[in-house]
Amino acid sequence: MTLITGGSKCGKSSLAEKLLDRYGDNKYYIATMQPFGEETLAAIDRHRKLRAGKGFVTIERYTGLAELEIPSGSRVLLECMANLCANEMFGESGINDPEERIIQGIEHLRTLAEELVIVTNNVGSDGIDYGAETNGYIRVLGRINARLAAAADCVVECVYGIPAVLKGRLLL
Amino acid sequence: MIMITGGAFQGKTEFAKSRYSLKAEDIIDCGSCDLDAVQSARCVRNYELAVKRVMARGEDPLAFTDRLKCDIILMNEIGSGIIPLEKSEREWREMTGRAGCIIASRAGTVYRVCCGIAKIIKGEEI
Repeated sequence: MTLITGGSKCGKSSLAEKLLDRYGDNKYYIATMQPFGEETLAAIDRHRKLRAGKGFVTIERYTGLAELEIPSGSRVLLECMANLCANEMFGESGINDPEERIIQGIEHLRTLAEELVIVTNNVGSDGIDYGAETNGYIRVLGRINARLAAAADCVVECVYGIPAVLKGRLLL
Repeated sequence: MIMITGGAFQGKTEFAKSRYSLKAEDIIDCGSCDLDAVQSARCVRNYELAVKRVMARGEDPLAFTDRLKCDIILMNEIGSGIIPLEKSEREWREMTGRAGCIIASRAGTVYRVCCGIAKIIKGEEI
């Protein structure tokens, strides 16, 4: 399992896709961003174009990874954990602390997938007090990221497109 | 002096506890402790909040930082967002950045923690 983190628009997706370039088939892209409004639609469109021709089957899944069925032996790119966490917390049947639920979902995917690449986001470095709800989100996402990083073979922080390896070896 | 920095909720405190065999009671939280206890504590966390509270007392946070005798200082990185609209927030951010530079320059070892992974960015393991 590889975890890719970094700030906004720093080349995380391109790197994640590149990591799965060596596989020709059985590639799945789990998209967690819900298409709300113009800006997210534009972002989704941009990501679709980025992936076009790379052999990914796109699965839109906003919550509940533990119940998602994918073929065993597949190569999976999950993008992104920050959206998934927000969906689990603030969606229709949102819960306060989805940490265990999300970790279980990832464990489930790991038992099925041959290769799993997760894109997440660094959101706790601006020092702003956003109030209890958003601060709670930053805390939960931070914990999830740390648990994913502990389980991952490779952890990379993307800095303006440069992969800075925090753990393991990056196999490109 | 050892500095452990990184964004919020990245696992700095957990790392400090396991790496330096600290118990919860060895670590003072600058958000709620007696400010005068910060100076000589073995380990402090959320030092950026000490900066804020020292400023609120009308004192110079950089002079306060110069006097620190702690062994281990945990401090969030807070400077990676948009410049805050509020003047007091801007001043806090600036003073925190400068205080962090003072601590980092005095520290023999500086770690940065991201996703629970600590990387040395200055010096070596003590």
